[in-house]
Amino acid sequence: MKTDYLVALVMSTSICCGGAARSADVAADAQKAALSKTIETCGTCHGINGRSVSPTFPNLAGQTAPYIELQLHAFKDQSRGDPDAQAYMWGMASPLSDTMISALAAYFAAQPPAKGTPGNAALIAQGKTLFEQGVPARQIPPCASCHGANAAGLATFPRLAGQHAPYLLRQLLVIQSVLRTAPVMHGVIKDLTRDQMQAVVVYLESI
Amino acid sequence: MTCTEHRWSSRTFLPWLGAGLCIALASPGWAVPSYARQTGMACAACHTVFPELTPFGREFKLNGYVLDNIKQVTGIDTSGGPTLAINSLPPVSMNVMISYTHTGAPLPDSSLKGALAKDGDVLFPDQVSFFYAGKIADGLGAFIQLTYDGAADHFGLDNTDIRYARHISFGGANGNDHSLIVGVTLNNNPTVQDVWNTTPAWGYPFALSGVAPGPITSAKIDNGAGGFGQSVGGVGVYMWLDSHFYAEITNYDSAIPGGAHPLDSTDSNVVQGLAPYWRVAYEQRWDRNSLEVGAYGLNASTHPGNGTALAGPTDKYRDAAVDAQYQFIGEDHLFTVLATYISEHQTLDASVIDGFAANTDDNLKTLKVTGEYFYRRKIGGMIGYFSTTGSTDTLLYQPAAVTGSANGSPNTDGYILEMDYLPWLNTKLQIQYMGYEKFNGLSTNYDGAGRSASDNNTLYALLWVAF
Repeated sequence: MKTDYLVALVMSTSICCGGAARSADVAADAQKAALSKTIETCGTCHGINGRSVSPTFPNLAGQTAPYIELQLHAFKDQSRGDPDAQAYMWGMASPLSDTMISALAAYFAAQPPAKGTPGNAALIAQGKTLFEQGVPARQIPPCASCHGANAAGLATFPRLAGQHAPYLLRQLLVIQSVLRTAPVMHGVIKDLTRDQMQAVVVYLESI
Repeated sequence: MTCTEHRWSSRTFLPWLGAGLCIALASPGWAVPSYARQTGMACAACHTVFPELTPFGREFKLNGYVLDNIKQVTGIDTSGGPTLAINSLPPVSMNVMISYTHTGAPLPDSSLKGALAKDGDVLFPDQVSFFYAGKIADGLGAFIQLTYDGAADHFGLDNTDIRYARHISFGGANGNDHSLIVGVTLNNNPTVQDVWNTTPAWGYPFALSGVAPGPITSAKIDNGAGGFGQSVGGVGVYMWLDSHFYAEITNYDSAIPGGAHPLDSTDSNVVQGLAPYWRVAYEQRWDRNSLEVGAYGLNASTHPGNGTALAGPTDKYRDAAVDAQYQFIGEDHLFTVLATYISEHQTLDASVIDGFAANTDDNLKTLKVTGEYFYRRKIGGMIGYFSTTGSTDTLLYQPAAVTGSANGSPNTDGYILEMDYLPWLNTKLQIQYMGYEKFNGLSTNYDGAGRSASDNNTLYALLWVAF
């Protein structure tokens, strides 16, 4: 009787454990499938590898994970309200869970970044100076001080290297006009001219 | 909605006024707010100004209309596999068009010989459409349009495209250097599945008068009087590689609404076998620009029907076309250029035997070019040129008041001027003027009954709302 009881206990335990393992597997598979499906959705504009074809949409490959997370939360809670954010990302980000946001950020951060695209040499030289030295006469600090010497980004300061110039220019404009809130940047670029913006974004696209 | 009269109909079936007045140079295209509700994206994400698609709008359509952010009703099987994924709210939309049409000269009264009808025609509604437009299941989406046509007092299935698409990535160290969308489309109008607004189903003009006289014919793939329009059904496969290369093959067969079923000699323009449609395109995007160049075509063998048996010799149509689109989508300024050139070769063995055509070999060539400008998607306009030239065939194109040709020629050309104002992205006020230099072969007395091409010049005022 005692033996029977033990056998039954072991069996039931093993069934329970097996069931739990199976259900964990199913949950993990479902999570993996959901992530893969969501990456497909993001990839429609940003490229599944995070390197977008259309310069309207930013490259995400190699972007810092904290920055991607911050922005996805800002789209989701609608605190980032520039026109393109409203038109595209409010809708797309609204169903994302915190877990999914972290997983997406990790995925895109791990993709090899886009390679630089050559551009106008004179503009690139001007942009490089501006990026590395700022405009001391107008109290514009070097971009490199936050975004890194190679513009690879750091934590919530985004990677800018290899990013599409038209996208970067649009962000500078919407940040300057405070359509997009970016507290540090408002002060930094308030006196940046459109020509200076153009030079710096062409430089950033080239590296 | 596209009218699908057949080019011999002016002699055989229609009096000088009637269904032939349905111009149908192009189907009205539609923007569908249910997609906006499904994705949470504003109209401007997918459209420059509706119904023209942006690069993202093209991606959305090629992905099978399934991108969503709306709460889903889902089901899974015991292994966790999905069995259902459907929007919690149905993706239903409505379009309403109310119009006024004025032609250069009044049209003949339909019952009193020699008398003229009232000049100026209000259509309330011009068209009302109901849509199911959105996701059906994972990877499966639809654009299904039911339209009430105010002029015809008819309610029926309009442009419909149901598609299934999958995304595949491959290549490179991470296996994702390349992105490929492969899909299947089931649709009822050749080119309704296309995404560049250059091909006939969604080409310019996006909306035009349904009660003004229209040219006597068009190529099979085009959406005028000679086109298949929505009288076919087709299944096709397509691929979209790296957001650059598009290729598609779709096979069509007749699916004629109304009339005899199975199709018999009382039907007309009946496809024999299958009519393959093909499409290739390349798109490049840079800065705020995109440029597409492509080619498409259709091969069809048809029985004329119209009282002749659906057996024996057939008419053969070989359509080959090229197209190009340029878009600039800036913050304030938007430009688009749309162009297509369609060449059709006709081998009319059956029509010659049946007395519907004089020549065995005819051809038809159509050019359409349109330029658009909009300021902040609010106010803008378009200017368009269209031209059709073709073989003279005195049996195919016969004299008939208003709709016929006095000299047996289908040659028609003219221009379109349009002004649009959109107080909101889903509301368009349109004033369009269509002027003809030549109509059905001639500038003056083109129909043999004294009507000039310019008498068909049409002023079309339209209120178009989508919600």
